[in-house]
Amino acid sequence: MTIQVKLFGNLVDVTGTANMQLKNIADTDSLLRKMFSDFPQLAGHTFIVAVERKISTENQVLNEGDVVAFLPPFAGG
Amino acid sequence: MSEKKRHKVFIEGAISPAFIADSIAMHSTKTNIGAHAIFLGQVRNDMIDGKRVREIDYSAYVEMAEEKMHEIREMVFGKFKITCMHIHHSLGVVKTGEISLFVFVSSEHRAGAFDACRWIVDEIKAEVPIWGKEIFEDETYSWKANSK
Repeated sequence: MTIQVKLFGNLVDVTGTANMQLKNIADTDSLLRKMFSDFPQLAGHTFIVAVERKISTENQVLNEGDVVAFLPPFAGG
Repeated sequence: MSEKKRHKVFIEGAISPAFIADSIAMHSTKTNIGAHAIFLGQVRNDMIDGKRVREIDYSAYVEMAEEKMHEIREMVFGKFKITCMHIHHSLGVVKTGEISLFVFVSSEHRAGAFDACRWIVDEIKAEVPIWGKEIFEDETYSWKANSK
């Protein structure tokens, strides 16, 4: 199973990437653990997670092809 | 709820005064309108840590932002007595003094337009995934944080 991860704003600077494809990630908690492990510099940065463009506030099972976005605080206007 | 179709929100670069003028002119045929409220967000030359902002490079999670804008639109028609509304936001580079956000609300009477316009701007700032990279005169940058 493959999911797509998108990062935005300052999180692109923090991780050095805007798009990733990851395999065998069962849920958002597992994804967060992997991201903090792969990019320890993410700690201390504020962000929320959206699965398929909907903000996810608790652990959520991921499905093949899901797009999971890491969104720093919005700053439009 | 009216107006189910998706509207084009994002504009590459600054929103020109001519575009705004044309938008106003296009409403002259809608003679049931008695009030327009317009909010224009302009890029400010903030001084941050001793460095002057020259421009903002806007980026967005476009697919999600367009869905959010659509939700805001649906809610506005439910919450306020308005005739029509238009939202445009820049993507890419907007220089200081140029316009990056254009919210245009029309109603029969002023209260609906005023109230809806303010609510929409607050919602956009809080709920729509848009970011701004503030680029300084020396080419370094920092990420914009919205104030209230």
